[in-house]
Amino acid sequence: MSAWFALGCKSSLGRLAASAGVAALVWLLWGFPAGQPELAATAKAAAAPVTCATCHVGVATSYSHAPMRHALEPVDNDPVLLTHPKLTVEQGRYSYAVETKDGKSTYTVSDGKDSLTVPIHWMFGQKSQTWVLEKDGNLYEGLVSYFPRENGLGTTPGDGKTDPKNLTEAMGRKITTWETLQCFNCHATAASEGTKLTLDKLRPGLDCDRCHEGAAQHMADAAHDNFSTLPKSLKKMDAEDTANFCGQCHRTWDTVIRNNWKGTVDVRFQPYRLENSKCFVGNDPRISCLACHNPHQPVDHNDAFYDAKCQACHGEAKATAVAAATAIKSCPVSKDKCVSCHMPKVELPGGHATFTDHMIRVVKAGEVYPD
Amino acid sequence: MLVAPISEAVTKGVSYCKQQILPPRTANSPGLWLPNLLLAALLFGWLIGGNAQQAPQFDDLAARAVAARDSGNVPQAIELYGQATRLKPDWAEGWFYQGLLQYSSNNFPGAIDALSHVLELKPGAAPALALRGLSEFETGAYDDSLRDLDEGVKKGAANEPRNEQIIRYHLAQMLARAGRFQDAMLQYQFFASNHIDDPDLLLGLGLAGMRNTTLPKDFPAEGREVVEAAGSAGYVFLSGDSQGADGLFKKLFERYPTVPNLHFFYGVLLFMHGPDLAIDQFKSEVEVAPSNAAAHAILAYALMFAGRFTEAQPEAEAALARVPDMEMAQIALGRSLAETGDAKRATEVLNQVLQRDADNMEAHMALAAMYSRAGKREEAYRERMVCLGMQK
Repeated sequence: MSAWFALGCKSSLGRLAASAGVAALVWLLWGFPAGQPELAATAKAAAAPVTCATCHVGVATSYSHAPMRHALEPVDNDPVLLTHPKLTVEQGRYSYAVETKDGKSTYTVSDGKDSLTVPIHWMFGQKSQTWVLEKDGNLYEGLVSYFPRENGLGTTPGDGKTDPKNLTEAMGRKITTWETLQCFNCHATAASEGTKLTLDKLRPGLDCDRCHEGAAQHMADAAHDNFSTLPKSLKKMDAEDTANFCGQCHRTWDTVIRNNWKGTVDVRFQPYRLENSKCFVGNDPRISCLACHNPHQPVDHNDAFYDAKCQACHGEAKATAVAAATAIKSCPVSKDKCVSCHMPKVELPGGHATFTDHMIRVVKAGEVYPD
Repeated sequence: MLVAPISEAVTKGVSYCKQQILPPRTANSPGLWLPNLLLAALLFGWLIGGNAQQAPQFDDLAARAVAARDSGNVPQAIELYGQATRLKPDWAEGWFYQGLLQYSSNNFPGAIDALSHVLELKPGAAPALALRGLSEFETGAYDDSLRDLDEGVKKGAANEPRNEQIIRYHLAQMLARAGRFQDAMLQYQFFASNHIDDPDLLLGLGLAGMRNTTLPKDFPAEGREVVEAAGSAGYVFLSGDSQGADGLFKKLFERYPTVPNLHFFYGVLLFMHGPDLAIDQFKSEVEVAPSNAAAHAILAYALMFAGRFTEAQPEAEAALARVPDMEMAQIALGRSLAETGDAKRATEVLNQVLQRDADNMEAHMALAAMYSRAGKREEAYRERMVCLGMQK
């Protein structure tokens, strides 16, 4: 975890060299007042914009590959569409085509007689991908999405029961202001001001300042060698705070409870599921989201990677020493790939994908998904 | 007036109702909606059957009552239904038609009496509950009206589209009168979503939004302008045009900077979509009306939802200083204390809530958070499971 912020501002030359490769990562551009020392001078010399990556080279580099960074892909550089220049599917009496040419993507729906084509401006998701479309000033969630498991188009999750009456309805589901705000605020940066969408200012994916509030001020001050305005350290949050912080988008336990969301669809809401685990407690860093996941890095899909995290509590030595007092058990079946049994994969209804259930438990054969 | 005499419509009976199946798009002639209660009753099926051993005299009276009703002769129909139910007091259908016809004749006590017989025979019959609730509204028995309309809607009386408008409009008024403003707004939401508007309806929505328990019909003309304008802004918001509503509310704030509960109204609407969006409005309300305990309480509540516990605590304290047992403020205070480390006082406050309402989910959620932060794993898990159990 400490490696996330490992590279400090020791060497301006080092910062500069490293920043060249990731300068485009963060579009927080700040000018340098005259008379500033080395950082300003070297930045000018290289003619590179100063970004978070100027100092935080390592974390910026790794974050450039992290899923949250790609929660919304840039319009002219979307790997999914660039590698799939023509996607088509028949859905009921409508046919769909998503085509990409010269970096521009379009979404077409046809009923055999007429067709409707709109440009794609917003690509949600790095693997599975849904497109938000604009028509006549309204925003729509495309009725078909791309799913890597099928390597093709399918019905967008949640829209399976939609019965389109015309081409516009077949194109997509009209989304409300509030839904739009939620979508963009969790997939992009600077997408809104209060209740107003600011799509003209939007930056795709989650930039540093989306989580690190105050990053812009810090960068401005750091350019003056003033480090008194550091953003709040998220590393110091306890498990409860971390679950709530990540839950802003991944949904908190409170949010799911207050909305009475039920069923296997809630497997997507990892903080909620985690807090339903018997072993979760808010003041224990070993069960924090961050104990297993580094948000600045891609998710590790190797089950064995997580064994050490489980063993931090359930390890043989620890279990022996504290078992009587804390009732922490060690597994009688296996000591490796714990998550393969205790955090089963659950098929998301209509999602064309499985999600890891973060409700850690002893899974009994044939059990009903525990809400 | 949204409630017009409906005698003409009702006297034409079921066949007439069927010709009037679709309610008007606006609420200008709502009287035509009511006969559909009759149809709804038939659709429910509870009026038919159960009269296998009818005496010849009863059969004759019942047939003549139906004929009188079909021909539009309301007084005669009421008389004949009355005779028939005296012969056969367990004839629910007869009582219901009496109730309906009495209502249509503006004889509301008579309607209440007849419908009470229906409900004795068929407890919980949704159409009878709703119609009795409407009758009680007309007699000024508002508490009874709220009870019956609320119960009727819970049992599906508003599921019949042709009855939905009149039932929801009256229920909304009764909810606002009882101080259940947010519940009232949820009823008004139906009209906005369906683009049904009317000056009385906008006034009613404005009153609910501005936390005024006066009924629209009793509200003085001189105060209407601002309330109706607020209702219009709220209506635009509830119909889905948030930007349009934002403009209307801002104009209202400029024009009426000292009128209480305008910011409160907008804040409540925003709260439905995101507590953090509402916080600024509630703060403005507290500035306009510093002694408004409800404004302090809802500000505390919104801050609590947004996880801003240190800010929530003084607002909750301010509310409780004015109204010591205000539940919303107690929850906000209890949760804030729980999250900021004062477990002892948090437990005291939350237990006050739970003593009144053992199933208060927010109180259990606060306890879960408190135990979790304190490292009390089993207690936290227990409280979470209590909350999950409440959802099932």
